[in-house]
This record gives sequence, C-alpha cells and structure tokens, in this order.
Amino acid sequence: MNRRSFLKLLAAQTAAGSLCASAPAWAIGPSSRLDIALLKYPGNWNPRPNGLRKMLQEVEKRTSIAVATRSVHVDPNNREQLLEHPLMFWAGDAAAPELSAQEVDNLRVYLKAGGTLVIDDASSDRRGAFERSARAQLRRILPNTPIQGVPRSHVLYKSFYLIPEPVGRVANARTMDGMFNDDRAMVLISSNDLLGAWSRDSLGRYEFDVFPGGDRQREMSFRLGINIVMYSLCLNYKEDQVHVPFILKRRKWKVD
Amino acid sequence: MWPDLGEYNEWSLLFLGGWGPGVLTVLVILGLLVFGLSWYDLRDMRPHRRWTLVALRVAVYLIAVALLLEPALELKNVTKVKNHIAVLVDSSLSQTLKVGDGETRRIDRATTFVREELKELLTTPNDDHIFDVYTFDSELTPSSYEEVGRGVEPRGDATRTIEAIEEVANRVGRRDLGGFVLLSDGIDSGLLGGRVRRGELIDRETSAFLERLDVPIHALATASSEGLKDLSVESVQYDDFAFVRNSITIDVTLRVVGFEPRRIPVVLKREGQLLQTREVEVGPDNTEYRVTFEFVPQQIGKEIYTVSTPHYENEALTENNRKDFVLKVIRDKIRALQVVGRPSWDERFLRQLLKQNPNVDLISFFILRTAENAQVVPTNELSLIPFPTRELFEEELGSFDIVIFQNFNFRPYGMSQYLRRIADYVRDGGGFVMIGGELSFTSGGYAGTPLSDILPVMLPPPGNRDALLSEQEYNLELTDAGMRHPITQLAFEPALNRELWAKLPPLEGTNLVFGAKPGATVLGYHPKLRSNGGPLPVVTVGEAEKGRVMAVTTDSTWKWSFHAFGRGGTSRPYHAFWNSAIRWLIKDPELKLLQVKADQTVLPPGGKVGVSARVVRADYAPAEGVKGTLEVLYRPLSALDGPAGVATEPKVLQALEFTTDAQGRADVTLPADEPGAYTVRASARTESGNLVDEDIFLVTLDSQELRSIEPREPLLKQLAEVTQGTYERVEDADDGFQFKEPRVVRINRRKVIDVWDTLYVLLIICSLLGSEWMLRRRWGRL
Repeated sequence: MNRRSFLKLLAAQTAAGSLCASAPAWAIGPSSRLDIALLKYPGNWNPRPNGLRKMLQEVEKRTSIAVATRSVHVDPNNREQLLEHPLMFWAGDAAAPELSAQEVDNLRVYLKAGGTLVIDDASSDRRGAFERSARAQLRRILPNTPIQGVPRSHVLYKSFYLIPEPVGRVANARTMDGMFNDDRAMVLISSNDLLGAWSRDSLGRYEFDVFPGGDRQREMSFRLGINIVMYSLCLNYKEDQVHVPFILKRRKWKVD
Repeated sequence: MWPDLGEYNEWSLLFLGGWGPGVLTVLVILGLLVFGLSWYDLRDMRPHRRWTLVALRVAVYLIAVALLLEPALELKNVTKVKNHIAVLVDSSLSQTLKVGDGETRRIDRATTFVREELKELLTTPNDDHIFDVYTFDSELTPSSYEEVGRGVEPRGDATRTIEAIEEVANRVGRRDLGGFVLLSDGIDSGLLGGRVRRGELIDRETSAFLERLDVPIHALATASSEGLKDLSVESVQYDDFAFVRNSITIDVTLRVVGFEPRRIPVVLKREGQLLQTREVEVGPDNTEYRVTFEFVPQQIGKEIYTVSTPHYENEALTENNRKDFVLKVIRDKIRALQVVGRPSWDERFLRQLLKQNPNVDLISFFILRTAENAQVVPTNELSLIPFPTRELFEEELGSFDIVIFQNFNFRPYGMSQYLRRIADYVRDGGGFVMIGGELSFTSGGYAGTPLSDILPVMLPPPGNRDALLSEQEYNLELTDAGMRHPITQLAFEPALNRELWAKLPPLEGTNLVFGAKPGATVLGYHPKLRSNGGPLPVVTVGEAEKGRVMAVTTDSTWKWSFHAFGRGGTSRPYHAFWNSAIRWLIKDPELKLLQVKADQTVLPPGGKVGVSARVVRADYAPAEGVKGTLEVLYRPLSALDGPAGVATEPKVLQALEFTTDAQGRADVTLPADEPGAYTVRASARTESGNLVDEDIFLVTLDSQELRSIEPREPLLKQLAEVTQGTYERVEDADDGFQFKEPRVVRINRRKVIDVWDTLYVLLIICSLLGSEWMLRRRWGRL
C-alpha cells in the first residue's frame, strides 16, 4: 500500500468505532491543564466575567483537552505572567487606553514566542470603540504585520467543528480578522462579543440574549470558541492530508 | 644601384623636402601642363621625334621635381628578438589507440613526424624563431626533439589543448609567441571540449582568445575516423545521491562509431544484479545515442552500479563498453508518526517544530475527544476522523522511521494487540520515543506491556497518583553522558553547554519511574527526586536490538521554546534538543558510534585512499584506546558481471589492527593499485557492543579520454582556420609552416644619405636638356 492509497483508505473509513475511554483526571503539573488568560488594563477589561470560565467548561465537556477553569487575569506589564498562559483574551466594550512601551514590547514577544491573543469586542457596535482602539494598539505591537481577514477556508473553521460562519452574541461581522506569522494566526479579532454569548450565571442561565437570536447562534458561538481553543493547541492539524477528504465530504464538496 | 649596407642590415627611402600636399598637387598639375603644351607644340613633327622630345622634357621635369622633394636613403642597424614556436604533442591516453587496422598508434604517428619531418626545423639554428617542444595532456610538460623522437608513452587522463596553449603563451610572453605546431587527435576534455561539442562550431570565447593571441596554429591530426569502429558508454549522468524509495533517473550517453544498423542492448546492474535493459537502434547516420534508466532504490547506503553494452568484433576499444559508478542512497524525509492522547501545549510546540523541519514528513493523530465527552452534534458538523489503528500499526508501521507516543493512553483504542508489533518494529530498527504526561508511562497503562520491555526506563506498577506523578518544578540536570550526547549537547564546550542548560526555563512535573534500565543512558535527571537509589531520570535513551528508544518523562519541554524565547532567549535549545533526538533515534549515519569513511569514492589505479575510523562511546565521548580491525575486501570489476548476474563474494585483501587515539580516531592510508570494488569494513568491540561499519570505493581507469575515442578532425581544422594556420593529417604534412615574424626591438645605428645632392643628378639634367636642345635643332625646330 502506498501513501496515496493509505490516505484514500483513511478517507473511506466511516466515523464508526468512535473513541471510547476515560482518562484519569490527573494532571502532571498546573501548566498541563489549559487555562485562558484575560488581559487587564485600566477600564472595563472584564465586561463578561463569566464568559471564559463557562467556555472552558464546555471545552472540558466536549473535548479531550484537560482544562483549568480558574479565572486568570494577567497584567501586560508583567512578561513572566504573560508567558504562563499561551492563550489570552483581550475584551472590552469601550475604547481601551494606549499601552505603554513596555506593554507593547511584552505583547510582541508573547506573540512571536508562540502565544495567541483573541480580541473580543463586547459592545454591540460593528467596529466599536474598543475594537478600533485594540486594532490601533495591535499596529504598534506588530507594526510590520497586516491585519487581514481570516478566510473561510482557514483551518480555524474546521479545527474541531465545521463552522460556516463566525457568530457570537451578535453577528456584526461575518468573518474574523487576524494577524499571521507565516501561516500561524497570532491574533484573532472578533466583533461579535463571543464572551457575551458564553456567559452564564451561577444558576446556569445565560446572561445575555443573542441577536438576531436563537439557540443555534449561541451553539455556533460555543463551537467557534472551542475551535479557537483547538486551533491554538493543534494549529493546522486539520489541514493534514489525512483529514482533507473527510472534511470535504462532510461539507458535501467533491472528493477527488 | 642598391647601396652596400655594410654594417647596416635595413634601409628605407625618405623624402626630406617636407613639402605639403598642396605643393605636390601644384607640381603634378604643372607636370601635366608641361606634358600637354609640349605635345601640342610638337604636333607637326613625326611621331617618333615628337615622343622623344616630349619624353626628354618630362624626364627633366621629373628630375627637377625629385630635387625639390630631396630624396634620401635611411640606413639602419636593428636587432631582432626571435619568437617562440611551440610544438605541442598530445600525450593523453587516447593517443595510445591504434590507427585503422594497423599496429601504429596515434602517438607513434606524432613522434615519427617530429623525428623525421621536423628534424631540420628543430635542430638547425634559425634567425627568426626558437622552437620549443612540449607534450601535453592534463598538464603541459617541456620536452625536446630528442625526447619526443625517442617516443612518448601517453598517460594523461585528459587533454587540455586551450589550457596548454595559454600556458605556453604565459611562459614565453604573448609578444614573443610566433605560432604552434599541434599534433593531436583533437579529442579534448578540457575547456575546448567542454565548450564545443561534436558537430558544433568553435565558440566565441575560444575564438576571441585565439584572435588575441594572433599567432597561427598549424594543426596536424594524428588519426581520423575512417575505419574506426567503437561503441562506448560515453557518460552516465546521475545525482550525487538518491533518496531511498524515491525514483531516480540515470541518463546514459552512448558513442557509436562505424556500426551498421543494428539493435544494441544496454544493461544497468546493481552490485552485479541485473536491474534493467534498454535497446538502442544504432546506424551510421548518428554517433550519439541516449538511454534513460529509471528505478527506485530500496535501501540506504553506497552501492556500485554498472552500465554496460556487449563487446563487438573489431572494436577499437572494449574497455569503454562499461561504466561503473557509486551511487549513495540516503534517507528521504524522516517519516514520523506522532500520536497524542490529548491536545496540549507540549503537543502543539512539538508539532510546530516537526512541521517546520523540512526533513520530517509528519503524520499526526491527536485524540480530540473521548467517550466521556458529550456528543450532541451530528457527525457531519464535526471535522473529526476515526483513529485508524489497524492501518497505522499493522499496515503502515514499517514505513515510519520513528513513532512518538506523546501523553497517549493506548487502552481506550483497542491497541493492546499492537503494542508487541510496535516493540518488534523498534527491535527491527525503528525509533520510538515516549513523552510524559498523565496518559503516559505507567499512568498510561504501559507497565508490564511489550512496550515497557523496550523502554529505557523501568516502569513502576500501577498505583495511586502520588506514586506515579510529580508536579514539582525543577531544572533538568545533565549527567556526564548528557554533556556529550548529541541530543543534549547544545554547545561543544562542556562549560558552555552546562551554562546554556542552566539558563533554560524550569520544567514542570514528571512521570515517576524506577530508574534507567541497565545499558540505558540517562542524559538528564531530576535534581531532587530519587528513584531506585539514584536520581530520577527524566531524559533517557537506550537501544532495543536494532532500534533506538527514548523516554522523556515530562510534558513540559515546550517551555524551553515559549518561555525561553519570551525571556529574551531563543527557541534554539528546544529545537536542537528535539531535532537531535529525532536524528539519533533514526540512527542518522552521522551519529553512529563507529564510523569508517574513505576519503575518495572513485579513483584511478595506483592512487592512495585515506580511511578513517572513528569510535565514540554511548555517551558520544571519543573512545580512546579502542582496538578494532579494519578489513579491506576486494572484488574485481569483472566480479560484478558474475555468473547468473550475481556478484561473487569479495576476498579479504588485508586486515589491519587499529587502536583509536585520544580523539577516538584511527587513520590509515591504503594503496589502490588494482582496478576493482573495495570495501573497508571496520569492527570494534566496545562497551556498547560489537560495532561494525563499512564504506566502499571504486578503483577504475575511467578516463574520459577513452570514453569518446573518435578523433575530432573538424575541431583541429577550426583551430587552424581561426588562427590563419594550416590543417593537415600528419601523414600528408611536411615542415613548410609559416609563422609570425619576430618583432624588432632596438635600432642600434642609423644613417641618412642624400640622394639628390650629387653631381650625377646635375649631369643627368644637363645631358637631358642638351639632348633635347640638340635634337630639336636637328629636327628643324628652334
């Protein structure tokens, strides 16, 4: 069997015989469990206090990723703190203040070293004040890296779920933007208030209504969140050749 | 009336009057007027009287004009510098070939011509030229008439005509070069042959060079194509190395001269075994044919390949009907299988590294969800694929060079049946690394499995969490072996290596094991935790029969990339660690414990080959004082055509004992007199076991001179034409060559003699005028 026929065989397999096992709930160290940090800054840096924790609970429930659901808030002025958390959100609903030179430098190193930063605009406005200010800071952090759209074909939209369109609490933008280092997205920008769609109170009730609305939109926002987490951990794994025929088939595209 | 030159050896005519062109024009017009008026004036005289008088008047006028111009003779005594004529005799191997059906060789024709036809030219003093005699092949060698006349034995394995001409020009100086007499068959393997293929015109660069020299080349062909019959494998083109299991193309060029139309088989053999046969239709209209072989090498290493054709009757040379060469087959991309129990930062950074390595062909399988994870989503909205255990571990396992189990628990996937297969794969030469995590080692259920047999660490039995895992943060400490081992040697200098390791961010957590197995090598250990009476190993390597294994009992080496970079360092240590680990696990030849290398792959008979054996210990420290044996095995090239196409067994030419020095090296120089295939096999018994390595080299008289033996008369002819020289076949030629005149460099003495300032001129004018007056009166005119 050559490589081509091997790949074809894989593509021809059904999804039967799914994985079944339970793993011991041990962790070899704190960093073995995934957490997601939230960037602190002067102003309303945590507009959706329950969003990330609930998202991580969904990750743990739906995937094999070991998570730490603790809240982690990091100061961009503290590089050591940043380096403990390779995945970080920067959220807000109003214009963020300008970062200091040290903070800009720390975030640049963080992203170049392999960290991933997700910008989430919690306002209901398209290109609201927070997003505009964050974009301005991003241009200072990575002055030579353009902000560009994340194309629908990007692995982000198939890293776990097959996602046709990114949505959050709102559906302001039909695509996400990003900043890339080669083919790795260092920065992802969402205008749709992802954290707002994920937020639940202690009784399990969703804190914010989704707009235009529907359970499907909220579900799809969770799926996007899980894909973001999966992408940050697996990068372009789902672009490996063995996955391509499967994904095309499920999207009802022609398999050569 | 030429002057006696006496002490002068050159003269010339001068005009001292210094009149300009205007005056000269007036004088010419005046002369015409004199002629016209005289002719008119004497119109009534009889023709002969009229002509006589007009002639006398014109003569007087011309002499008068000559007096005005003041002619003078310049006498000079000058010195000439003789220039050099180089007689170049081609002494390359192709000159050993016989001409036509006779016994005379090409070189014999050349030396006979020099001895007989050039005798007078080369042995008689000449006022204008100095004759230098050279032989040339790959080099220019000064010779003499006597030496060449006695005979020359051609040995050169190349002909560099243009290079020889240029060297002669540089030796004597271009200004003092008068020409060349070139005796050759025209086969050139130097610049000229490279620039001008058969049937092509001489190239612009060579033409420009020859024009700048500005001397004639008289080319004499020592042989012609008439009556020549030969079939040769002129060239075999292939890449310096090939990738195993990848198609390789061998392009063969045949030179076929003097053959009637027929089909000729061309075969390709590997170590005497027939690989492929091609047939070529040859005929008299063409001399060059191309054949292409394409095949897929199946094993790594150096092997001898042979392209050959049958021998045919009356061929001028049969040795050129085959060509042997050594092909080095190397590993293609490293095919790595990475199986990951759950996505994590450790997995992400290792995948990123492996994906970025252009030498690694990575197949990854990550368990993205388990049976515990809620499944409320239709399958067609997921990008997940099943874990193809059977395909991976039954069908495709052998195609991987290395298997990585990274925090992977095999039990949920019905993989117990494959663990023995994986262990056997390693014992057969595969590479295996287990990377720590809560799903790895004993926590992953590997204790007591076939995989635990090959791991370099001893696994504790299943137990509670505290017995299997530690969460402590620590800095990895290197053992002495770790200081030298290629996996953990970040810098050659031990002190610097230790410093680099000390700067790395700390690791976090480790799987607890019972220590390293006997024979395994611990490279790095936990600074505080102990196990089985010694430090707890964290990075351990070992061998499992033919394969290699590695245990990294932590899932936090990613911090050596992310944290190190973030703290102002680089990711290089992380990359160096894992890339070196991959190379070591796949037994990269550069990391073998015993390496023997010959410093040449193909060489002519009579040469010498340097062979070096290098031995290192398991920790890659140079192994000093190791005693070993170096065997030299020999097979004649004919053995590669052995019966039934199978190579015969080599015979041991000699066995040398060696002892390694402080660098772990032992060097020997071996003579390589006889053509054949040589294998040098080094073996040594060390604490790492019996080590063996071998290398091969080929001794063959593989001169390009004998690959294309058809004389190149057109090339010689063009050389002559471009330089205004002559071209002839040597049997038709004599010594009637024209060379460039020597140049004059100095005038020793000079004298000017006035021609006009003499009584004779006055008397001539008077007598002419008197004659004219007398005849005019006599013929009735005043």
